[in-house]
Amino acid sequence: MKHSAITHTITFALMMLSLAACSTSTIIDEYRETSLDLELNGGEQVVIMGRRHAGEYETEPDFINCIGNRLANGGKVSVMPEQHFLDSFYPWFEPRVAPLKLKRMGMMLNDPLIAERINGLSIRYLIWVDGHTETTEKNGSVSCALTLGGGGCFGFATWDKTASYEATVWDLKKLDEKGRVKVSTEGSSYVLAVVAPIPFIAQVQGAACVGIGDRLKSFFTHVEPEP
Amino acid sequence: MTKLRAARYSRLALLLTSVLTGACSTDIIVDGDYPSALTRQLPHHVGLVLDDTFTHYTFESSEEQDVTMALGESQIELFNQIFGDIFQNSTTLSTINQTSSKKVDLVVVPHVEEVQLAMPFETQLNVFEVWLKYNLQVFDSEGEPIADWLMTAYGKTQSRLLTSEEEALNQATTEALRDAGVRLVVGFHKVPEIRDWLASQQTFGALPQGDGQ
Repeated sequence: MKHSAITHTITFALMMLSLAACSTSTIIDEYRETSLDLELNGGEQVVIMGRRHAGEYETEPDFINCIGNRLANGGKVSVMPEQHFLDSFYPWFEPRVAPLKLKRMGMMLNDPLIAERINGLSIRYLIWVDGHTETTEKNGSVSCALTLGGGGCFGFATWDKTASYEATVWDLKKLDEKGRVKVSTEGSSYVLAVVAPIPFIAQVQGAACVGIGDRLKSFFTHVEPEP
Repeated sequence: MTKLRAARYSRLALLLTSVLTGACSTDIIVDGDYPSALTRQLPHHVGLVLDDTFTHYTFESSEEQDVTMALGESQIELFNQIFGDIFQNSTTLSTINQTSSKKVDLVVVPHVEEVQLAMPFETQLNVFEVWLKYNLQVFDSEGEPIADWLMTAYGKTQSRLLTSEEEALNQATTEALRDAGVRLVVGFHKVPEIRDWLASQQTFGALPQGDGQ
């Protein structure tokens, strides 16, 4: 009877912990040039690119893929993969020489070699994403041991992650900026180890991807993002 | 019986030693793909001299952790690709003596000056970094020196995205070689002595250059 009560208490504690853990909070700021959908004629493509010029961080390629998949979901927006674009225009969008501002992009488009390839591939919008996900705080520890009689882990560890990204939409046809989306997501993860480690992982980067991807999708398809 | 046991123990000890030694070393053959460069070709015939020291270049380090990195094949691929894109005609040669028979306008002889690595165990950062330093010796068709260009390139990667240290190091090095390609396309014709030589040939033409801003 006593044993059953203990089991129930542990189960309840784990349930509460799993509810408290894995939660993320996301703040999204958005600026648009116009409330109308962005013009995207048949065959025109969008490219999403990560900024990688800073020394201390680089925007993760898998995060860029995630936004691309989110934006293309449903097939209404044609998204060219980042690596395909980088290879097609090598070396002009590599971190060392990629245009940081529209003025420089305009100079590049003045060259027929680049302009013809942009037109040939029907690339209309270039979306730059700048930011990264980082672990901001770590506490606790988990120790594991292996003996002849068996093994196990014991301990408790927690860490906080913050994802902060900003997307800027450039219209390459009109050579102007169409809008910006800024997302900031925070979340705490835990590992509780009693013999076996039980992780409760907050999907911080995933939540940021959903936030920024859905907002960008609404630029083109006028679907209000889920709250 | 005791001899047999001793032999078993010594074999086990040897196996453990080799496993532990292997666990602390990183051996890779750099393998990357380099795209064709989007650039206007210069109407010259370049002779690219890739000698044995370049084609078989292997970086070795034994500081704290043994690292062996064979760069040769990947360097050949990159330099052949880029010089083939920059110039209308490109011929790869194994020694500088072959240039006289090939009727080239310009001869480029690249040398690896230095390779530096920064790995997470050294920097405590979750990043692998690679620096490459090349010296490109440039000669005219008569064998007269035109320029000595020291060119650096940098690549890094986030180790958490990759499955092994070898894969991370390969990606960082491939990024550094890709960056070397950027330097060649954007900077080769800007080296003052090469720019003057090109001007004297009245064939200068390139994409709009800038600081990338």
